[in-house]
Amino acid sequence: MSDVEEAVTRVHHEEWARVVAALTRRFGDLDIAEDAVERWPADGIPPNPGAWLTTTANRKAIDRIRRENKREDKHREAQMVYDDDPPEPVGAIDDDRLRLIFTCCHPALAMQTRVALTLRMVGGLTVPEIARAFLVRETALERRITRAKAKIKAARIPYRVPAAQDLPARVSGVLAVLYLVFNEGYLASGPDTDPVRHDLTAAHPPDPCPDAGRR
Amino acid sequence: MQYLVSVIDDKSNPGSTDRRPAISAFNERLIAEGYWVFAGGLADTDAATVIDNRGEQAVFSDGPFVESKEYLAGVWVWEAPDLDVALKLAAEASKVCDRKIEVRPFQ
Repeated sequence: MSDVEEAVTRVHHEEWARVVAALTRRFGDLDIAEDAVERWPADGIPPNPGAWLTTTANRKAIDRIRRENKREDKHREAQMVYDDDPPEPVGAIDDDRLRLIFTCCHPALAMQTRVALTLRMVGGLTVPEIARAFLVRETALERRITRAKAKIKAARIPYRVPAAQDLPARVSGVLAVLYLVFNEGYLASGPDTDPVRHDLTAAHPPDPCPDAGRR
Repeated sequence: MQYLVSVIDDKSNPGSTDRRPAISAFNERLIAEGYWVFAGGLADTDAATVIDNRGEQAVFSDGPFVESKEYLAGVWVWEAPDLDVALKLAAEASKVCDRKIEVRPFQ
């Protein structure tokens, strides 16, 4: 693998959740966000690889909307070219990724689906990796994730951190998912992955969110 | 976004029958807060008739299209900004009706 490819792969891994979360905020669609964050070839290592990844993903998402949408949505698209709305205040912690976690761990989704969706959207694991962790077929897992994304869209599961008074009820579900994500990082199940996946475990505090329910 | 909110009763373990005043009060609140679109309680499933006119002539049959212990006792249609709002109201509705509630988005 060339230096450039290696740099792009590393950044892709490190920045995945941040970029998916930012794109979800902007485009309001998990599917578009997920698809856009691809490994793209680059001529030389970009000076700011994280920003470069965000920009290419944004352009790709806009391209997709252009391809798929008709006249009515052109107006929407025109507004999306510039992301100039300030990020909405998200309450406790100002982080797009946290909203993404709360969306993926919504109580209206089945527990196993929440874990799978979080591993995919926030952890950036591939479908085969998650399928191995769950001991299910890839097609089955793919279907489950697709169904979950469709439900989030159809039922309008919001993309936000719940209000302070609702947090205690929602945090336990999120923590359960985070433990399982940590588990995948601690005892990785892929045949070719390192036994310890630092990308999944490093961001995890030693005692997961000890004060999360306390605000 | 509109949601169909179904009240589910169970023939083998029916909810209490004295809920009407509480439901009326809850409806008043839904109206006042702008969530209310429609509401209706349903007669017993025995009163249902199923019509199938996909063949040469219409066939009318007595009774609900599916026999089960659980059945639809009533419906609401709510206008809510997102599922979190609808689920919160539904949690209250379940208490108020003393029955299970299903929330399903319209397309």
